[in-house]
Amino acid sequence: MKPLTDGNQQTGLANKKNRFWSRAFQQRYLYMMSLPFVLWIFIFSYVPVWGWLTAFQNYKPKDSIFNQKWVGLDNFIELFQDERFYIVLRNTLAMSTMGLVVSFTIPVIFALLLNEMRGQFFKRSVQTISYLPHFVSWVVVAGLVSKMLSTDGGAVNQLLIYLNIIDSPIQFMAKGEWFWSIVTLSDLWKEMGWNSIIFLAAMSGIDPELYEASTVDGAGRFRKMWHITLPGIRTTFMVLFILSIGHLVSIGFEKQFLLGNPLVSDYSEVLDLYALKYGIQMSRYSYGTAIGIFNSVVSILLVFIANGIYKRVTKESII
Amino acid sequence: MKRKMQMALSLMLALVFVFVTACGNSNNEGGSNTGSTNGATNATNEGEAAEPITIRVASGDINANWDDMQSETGKFIQEKTGITMKQEFPVGGTDAEMFALMVASDEYPDLVMPKGSAGKLVDAGALIDLRPLIEEFGPNIKKVYGEYFNRLRWSEDDDAIYTLPSGGVGQTYFEAGGGFQLQHQVLEAAGYPEIKTVQDYEAAIKAYIEKNPKTADGQPTIGMSLNGGEWQILISVTNPAFYATGAPDDGEFYVNQDTHEAIMHYQRPEEREYFRWLNHMNDIGLLDKESFVQKYDQYKAKVASGRVLGLIDQDWDYGDAQNALKAAGNFKATYARFPVTLNDTFQDHSFQGTGYIAGYGIGITKDAKDPERLIKFLDYLASDEGQVLVNWGIEGKHYNVVDGKRVIPEDIQAQKSNDNNTFKKTTGIGNYLLSARYGDGVKDPSGNYYTTTFPEQIQTAYSEEDKKTLAKYNATTYKDLWPADDAFPERKYGAAWTLPFETGSQANVIFQKTQDIMKKRIPEAILAKPADFDKIYDAFLKDLDDAGVDKLNAEFTKMVKDRVALWSK
Repeated sequence: MKPLTDGNQQTGLANKKNRFWSRAFQQRYLYMMSLPFVLWIFIFSYVPVWGWLTAFQNYKPKDSIFNQKWVGLDNFIELFQDERFYIVLRNTLAMSTMGLVVSFTIPVIFALLLNEMRGQFFKRSVQTISYLPHFVSWVVVAGLVSKMLSTDGGAVNQLLIYLNIIDSPIQFMAKGEWFWSIVTLSDLWKEMGWNSIIFLAAMSGIDPELYEASTVDGAGRFRKMWHITLPGIRTTFMVLFILSIGHLVSIGFEKQFLLGNPLVSDYSEVLDLYALKYGIQMSRYSYGTAIGIFNSVVSILLVFIANGIYKRVTKESII
Repeated sequence: MKRKMQMALSLMLALVFVFVTACGNSNNEGGSNTGSTNGATNATNEGEAAEPITIRVASGDINANWDDMQSETGKFIQEKTGITMKQEFPVGGTDAEMFALMVASDEYPDLVMPKGSAGKLVDAGALIDLRPLIEEFGPNIKKVYGEYFNRLRWSEDDDAIYTLPSGGVGQTYFEAGGGFQLQHQVLEAAGYPEIKTVQDYEAAIKAYIEKNPKTADGQPTIGMSLNGGEWQILISVTNPAFYATGAPDDGEFYVNQDTHEAIMHYQRPEEREYFRWLNHMNDIGLLDKESFVQKYDQYKAKVASGRVLGLIDQDWDYGDAQNALKAAGNFKATYARFPVTLNDTFQDHSFQGTGYIAGYGIGITKDAKDPERLIKFLDYLASDEGQVLVNWGIEGKHYNVVDGKRVIPEDIQAQKSNDNNTFKKTTGIGNYLLSARYGDGVKDPSGNYYTTTFPEQIQTAYSEEDKKTLAKYNATTYKDLWPADDAFPERKYGAAWTLPFETGSQANVIFQKTQDIMKKRIPEAILAKPADFDKIYDAFLKDLDDAGVDKLNAEFTKMVKDRVALWSK
């Protein structure tokens, strides 16, 4: 395809328009090829946004969306006046931030160490074993965790007693203030290997000549890690990091739902669970939708803020 | 650049409109289509009534022993009616969730047993009015409900019948499934002492655990365990607070029997004392520390291991675990039940009469392909033949008629009482109690009871351990230990836990909040140091106030009074 290099800028608007269409015509096959995906996104991501209308209504499923009572911002006002909402927001942000920090440090360190491994067989085995837990369902993991931490013959308590660190078993699962850590740690156990795969892949893409050159310059292993490996995966790291910031508010609820119990509900309830309980379960679809909108707006904001900061610091933009 | 964006955006918008209009059209077409096909199937069905069909049934109660129509009774019903039921149960959530999602997607199975969600479905227009269908095709259904037929009416403003309550009509309770449970071995070791108050109960456990800190296989014994980690906290922790303090179970409310004023029952000072006792049990180490953390399966596993000396639960809740104990031959570790109260000034009101509670039941949805066929199916189950079938099974297989009396053969009875899970699954008995039916103690025209629960039958179902224990207390059934049915006046509103809140109403939201508060504060208060108990309980009451419990009480009082007015017509 020959680029249009029309130096004449005499007829601004009309010309520009023409240029767009002729160019589009030239690239018609490309456009056609991308059409199915655009359609896909529309149908599944944009068309459902219609449903947002219900947040401003008192939605009853009996009637169509156009036949509902409009209530303005009532649902949002109620949401922001509910104390519980702030508690669940705090829990959500706390757990997702802790998860974010942990899941972007430990897997990177793990990948770095694995990358330095020489024996291929050993390296592969460790990698495979470490990502296997990813395929275990949260239901099973929750069962394992509560069994391990049980006061009734749980391995952790028995170990601590054996080592004389404590006299009587600790009720780990009944201590609200420990809940966040328990969730974060079990998440780490489950996802560490899996998360490190992509970093390992990025590391294997680094030009070996760089390492050779640095060896010539007399760099040791740690120097190489610091000056070559880490900068080499920076872009991958940042893309993933910024994308997961977008998911900060919507962390799902399986973990909290399965590991939680009424005693620790002040620390375990997250936004999605709150939306489920006070929204869908009580047939308050409008209220649930209002929470959903809040979620989406905050997520978009967070992504742009994160990207903005990154852009300012590095002069590169991800989005 | 900017221009391009604009272009792209307008393109997007255009596409969206295309879609929306397209979707709208197809929807309309779909609607009219199903309408016409419905009419067609109806017409053809009238010709050949027994054409086999498969229907979907959503049940709010999980039935692990559901037989998929493959049991003996199931196959019989299938042959007789040509209807094959596919049952769906809540998966990984509560029944409320299942039905809420159903409403959200506006797609329903043919039959639903929505429990507390009936109101939601009615509000969504999902249930059809059964009244005309019953008038035309349901003579047996009508006969069973008899004088209580007017209690099926939905509300003051809506005289439709949306669900057929599945509770037995004319039920006499011969057996008590609740109360406080103690293992037979505990009673035996203590020489069968009087178990009337929580102190008696506590003393028996204490004496036993001091002598037997470990079970025969070396595991530590547990004084008592509560099933408080999931929704059964209501069954195992908070409802007993009613019973122990001389009130009947009215859901989460205490209803004054004279004025019909309702208050949230935690606000009663008596109940604070009950929870204080649980706190004390925890303090002296008799209460399982994991009571409020454990999941239902953990609880059942613990009970089935035989090392939990006492429970406060209902037999349907711990039944699976007890069946496992029986199947393992560990009868000494199965449980006897007692009406225990906080002190001897109270009497257990579990069996205070309600009249017929038109409560949870089965309804036909608007998506049902052939409501007429369904109501005929339900009518068959409600007929004398159908009721005997679902309760007793098939003659010659599960029961014999000897001198005009229905008798269950010994081997069948043995399986029924000792391995009930398998029994239910293979015979299907107990799996088809879907339609209108008579309760225990009602006799059919042949002079036999409709159900298999009557005094003689209950006694034959008891294990030797049960019989031994009961003999020591001069009783023939556990029910004998409770105050008689007519000891208290009948409640004019039935039972208040059957009163549904209007979905999404303010009272409904407040109620949900109080439940969340309760589920956190009650365990907290029980597990606290005794010195801190009052502080936490006061905080609990204050939380309830802040959540608007006064408004809720007022609303509930109104609901109770409306019910009284509706039913006394």
